[in-house]
Amino acid sequence: MRGLGEYLDKFKETKMIIFAGKGGLGKTTCSAALAYYLAVKKGKKTLCFSTDPQASLSDIFERDLFGKGEVEVAPNLYVVEIDADKRIRDYIEDVKRKIKEMYKMEEIPQEIESYIETSAVEPAMYESATYDAMVEYLVSGKYDYYIFDMPPFGHGVRMIAMAEVLSAWVEKITEAREKAREYDEIAARLRGGSPLSEDAILKELYDIRSRLSYFRDIMLDRNKTGFFMVMTPENMSILDTEKALKMFNELGLTLSGIVVNQVLPPEMINNPSPLIARRAEVQQKYLSVIKDKFGKYIVSVIPMFDREPKGLKMLEKVASYLVENPLQI
Amino acid sequence: MVGFLGKIKDTLKEITYGMALHSQVTGILKTRMYIEHLFTLMVLGDMLGFPVLPPYYSLRLLPYAIPNVQKWKHRFYRERDFTDIIYG
Repeated sequence: MRGLGEYLDKFKETKMIIFAGKGGLGKTTCSAALAYYLAVKKGKKTLCFSTDPQASLSDIFERDLFGKGEVEVAPNLYVVEIDADKRIRDYIEDVKRKIKEMYKMEEIPQEIESYIETSAVEPAMYESATYDAMVEYLVSGKYDYYIFDMPPFGHGVRMIAMAEVLSAWVEKITEAREKAREYDEIAARLRGGSPLSEDAILKELYDIRSRLSYFRDIMLDRNKTGFFMVMTPENMSILDTEKALKMFNELGLTLSGIVVNQVLPPEMINNPSPLIARRAEVQQKYLSVIKDKFGKYIVSVIPMFDREPKGLKMLEKVASYLVENPLQI
Repeated sequence: MVGFLGKIKDTLKEITYGMALHSQVTGILKTRMYIEHLFTLMVLGDMLGFPVLPPYYSLRLLPYAIPNVQKWKHRFYRERDFTDIIYG
């Protein structure tokens, strides 16, 4: 086990790295630490983006990043903590403005207005807005690396599945639109009219389709995207990781590796505190289960620290275990 | 003289179109309308209570669909009877 560094050496075309897993296990910490390593140690322009509605990048980087867009927190290291609610509000306002401008309306018809307002409060809008932001950043191609901190497991995998579902949906409606366009052209030709002007809906659909396909193609390319699960030596985490592996297989994704976090050093078994000694003993038991079940996937083991992993100094420490010198188990 | 010949030419063109192509064009436009309604259903289905997908991208297409929304809803909710089999 040689850490994530080995992975980065092997997959040199990597563009995107995604950390998934249950809540509270250290996904955000791992994302921040890896982003720190790539940006500060390797000099690569890196974006660390949290898609978790309960994200704590502000906490980890010890500054208010929420809803502030791309903030450079260290040389080459940019962080985004998305305010999805604001993004939805802005998006809705854009749609309304466009309708008013297109039809020279003062007010939007009640029926359309209430449709827009109902859509805006749907729970799925939050996921969609976050997903769209991920796509937008990746498509911009401004960064060497994109590190995405996914929301807790079920939700996170659904976000990944969304790429497939949305692409298929856009493909279908584009097909329907192209068919309509064909009929328009035939009718225009038979009537001896002039060629039709560009279909604005098709233009929008092609734009959505090209962005989604670009994102999906990168995400499903093993050479360009790495998926890492974060887990801890606890039974619940083991069960959750098993479920996640099953879901990854069902989605046709390849898990790049597992990071085991918050591991107490084995010598803690002899700690005078019975609480700590017992916890270390239990962890050792589960570590051997983890080795049996997921041995081939483990890329890094990070110890439990005596303080919260906050601030650049602590991130440097986490990064050294995560990327270069993992704890050996 | 040229104007007179031009008028005759246009009239002949219209007669030919009316006799040979008009019904074909009407049929094509009718099929095109069905496709348009299907498209609107795929995009704005939840307006009628058929949730298709999260509306994020649908909203982006909504401004272009507005002129057809009324006709689409009307056609969707219209009562059907046996004459629909004959006239479509």
